[in-house]
Amino acid sequence: MTSRGVNSKSLPPVAVLGMGAVTPIGRELPTIAKRLSEPIEPAPLLRVSDDLLADPTVSRGLRRADRFVRMAAIAALDAWTQAQIACAGVAIDRVGLIVTSGLGPHGRGFKFLDGILDCGDSSALPTDFSHSVHGVAASYIAGLLDLRGPSLSTTDFECGFEQAVLLAQCWLDQGTCSRVLLGAVEELGEVLIRCASRLLPDNPPFALGEGAVFLTLGPSDAPGIAHLDATASAEDVGLLILDEPSFFPQSAPPPAGRHTATFTPHFGHTASNSAFQSLGALLSLSAGRPLGRLIHSPSQPSPQSSFDNAATFRTLCDRSASLLLTLG
Amino acid sequence: MLAVSQALAEAGIEGFSAETRVGVAAGTTVASQLNNIPFYEAYRRIDNPPLDAIHDYLHANLAQAVGDLLHVAGPRMTIVNACSSGTDAIGVAASWIDADLCDVAIAGGGDELNRVALAGFWSLGVYSSEPCAPFDRDRAGLNLGEGAGIVVLESDAHARRRGRKNAFQVAGFGTACDAHHLTAPHPDGRGLHAAISAALAQGQIGPAEVAFINAHGTATADNDRAEGKVLARIFGPDVRFLSTKGYTGHTLGAAGGLEAAFTVLGLREGWLPASMGFENPADDIPVAPIRGRTAIAGEYAMSTSLAFGGNNSAVLIRRIA
Repeated sequence: MTSRGVNSKSLPPVAVLGMGAVTPIGRELPTIAKRLSEPIEPAPLLRVSDDLLADPTVSRGLRRADRFVRMAAIAALDAWTQAQIACAGVAIDRVGLIVTSGLGPHGRGFKFLDGILDCGDSSALPTDFSHSVHGVAASYIAGLLDLRGPSLSTTDFECGFEQAVLLAQCWLDQGTCSRVLLGAVEELGEVLIRCASRLLPDNPPFALGEGAVFLTLGPSDAPGIAHLDATASAEDVGLLILDEPSFFPQSAPPPAGRHTATFTPHFGHTASNSAFQSLGALLSLSAGRPLGRLIHSPSQPSPQSSFDNAATFRTLCDRSASLLLTLG
Repeated sequence: MLAVSQALAEAGIEGFSAETRVGVAAGTTVASQLNNIPFYEAYRRIDNPPLDAIHDYLHANLAQAVGDLLHVAGPRMTIVNACSSGTDAIGVAASWIDADLCDVAIAGGGDELNRVALAGFWSLGVYSSEPCAPFDRDRAGLNLGEGAGIVVLESDAHARRRGRKNAFQVAGFGTACDAHHLTAPHPDGRGLHAAISAALAQGQIGPAEVAFINAHGTATADNDRAEGKVLARIFGPDVRFLSTKGYTGHTLGAAGGLEAAFTVLGLREGWLPASMGFENPADDIPVAPIRGRTAIAGEYAMSTSLAFGGNNSAVLIRRIA
C-alpha cells in the first residue's frame, strides 16, 4: 500500500513549552537543578519519595492510582501547568499525548498475578488488571487534563523517548495537533529490585532509578524554553550528554573538544534514560552551565568547546539515536 | 514474523537495499508485559528463581525484534495502546512516510493468547464463554483470539523506483481520546466520532463515499452500543458494516492490523462475509451489521478500533487501481 505522501520535507524541531518531573532528587525544577549541581552519594537504588506523590490537588482523580500512574500524572500535570500561557486558547481535541515506558506498570501487573495465584483466575481484582496495561498512565493523564486529541502509549527499552519526540515532530508539522504532552515514566517494582543484582553485571557503574519526565511541546514558532529535534545530526554542540559510557561498549568515547556530562548518577539508570538526560540538559541550558557529573571539560578552548546553547543526547543503543536541544 | 514475511511477499519485496529506510510500527499488548506466571510462581517460592523469562522479555520488544530480524534501519515504535494498537501503528507508519522519515514501513500488530489476559477480561465481567455475538441483542461479551496482521506501506517515490503500482492507499487516519474512563468507552462515543471524522477529513471525502466499515465490534454491551450510535450518526441508518471478531475473537493488539488487512481484502474481492454471531437487532443499537455474504462496490472502506484508556482510531483505505 502507499501512504498519502503529502509532506515530503525535513521536519522542523519542536518547541519545549513546559516541563515537569518526578525524580529521586525531587519534583520542583529548582530543587532538581540544585541537586544536580551537588555530588550524590552512591546508592544501589534511587527511588522517588512517596511524599512527592501525595499531591492534594489531584488526590481525587488519582485515588485508585499506584506509584507508576502517580509519577506520570504529577509530572504531566506540572509540564502542562508550566505551559499554561503557551497553551491558552488551544482546543482540548488539538492536544496530543504520548507516554513511553520500557517496563510499564509491572508492579501492578505482578499484583494481578498475585490475585490469580492466591484467589484463582476468575477472582483476581479487575482494577489490578486494568491498571496493569501500559496505557494506564495516558488514560489517567487524559482524564485529569481532559485531553481529547491523539493519545499514544509506547514501549521501548532503549530509544522510546527519542522515537516519541520524532512522532511529536510529525504530529505538530502535519497539523495533527497544536500541542503535544510527551513523557516517559519508569517504576522500580519490587520484583525488579529483588532480581536486579542478578540481571546486571557485577559492580554496575550506575544505580537503578525511577521517575517521570514530561514536556509540553509546540510547533517551532511557539514561545518556548528550548527546541528539541530528533532528526538533527547534531554536530558541533557545546554539551554532549552521555549515559555512563563505561557500561556501554557501543557508545562513542567522549570527544575531546567539548563538555561532556551525565545525569545518570543523580537520576539513576532507567529504560527511559534519555528523558531524564533531556531534563538534565534543559536545566543545564537554563542555568547556563553544565550540571550533573562532568565526564570531560575541554582544557583547550576551541570554537566548539564553549558551553553554548545546544546539547546533544547520544542515546546508547544500536541505532545511535540522538536528540538536539537548543535554547530559545 | 510469518505475517511480516507474508506481507512483504504480497508487496513484492524480497529484501531491502542498505539505502532503503524501513520503519517498523508494531502494536501489541501481551508481548509488552512481563506476565509470566511460571516465573512469578518460582519468584514467590524460592530466593533465586531462573531469570530466563525476564531476559527474554527484555529482548522481545516487538518493533525492535522485527527490525533486527530484517536488518533494517529506520524509525521503530512498539505501540501499546491496548486494543487500538494495531490501527495506531498503521497511523504512525503513515505519518512517518508522509514526513519522509522512511521509504517503507511495516505496520500492524501481533498478540498471543495468554492466561493473564483471559483472567483479566473475565475479572472485568466482559468475557463470554459462548461464541461472541457482536452488535446482537443477546451479546454477552468478547472472546479472545490471537494472531498477527501486518501491512506494508511505501511512499509513492519508492513505489515508482521499483516500478510498482500499488492497488491500495492509506487515505486517512484519525485518532482521539475519550478522556472519560479507563476501561469503558464514552457512552456517546465522542472520541470515536472525532477519530472517524478526522480520518474522513484527511481523506477529503464524505461518509457516503465509504463502502463499508470493519467495525471494532467486540460484542461487549458498552462497546457495541457506543460504536453503533456513532456509525449511525455519521454514516446513517443504512450503514454497511461488520465485525470480524466472530471469526477471529478479539486479538487485542493485533486486531487493528488484522482488520485493516480484512478491509483491504473486502475492497479487493468486492464482497464481505456475514458479521458472524449477529442474529437479532439490539434495541440499544440503532444500526445492524450485515447478515450474509454481501457484495460491495466502492473506492473507500474504513476500519475502526476502540481501546482501554479511551483510545479510538480509524483508518481509511482507498482502492486506487
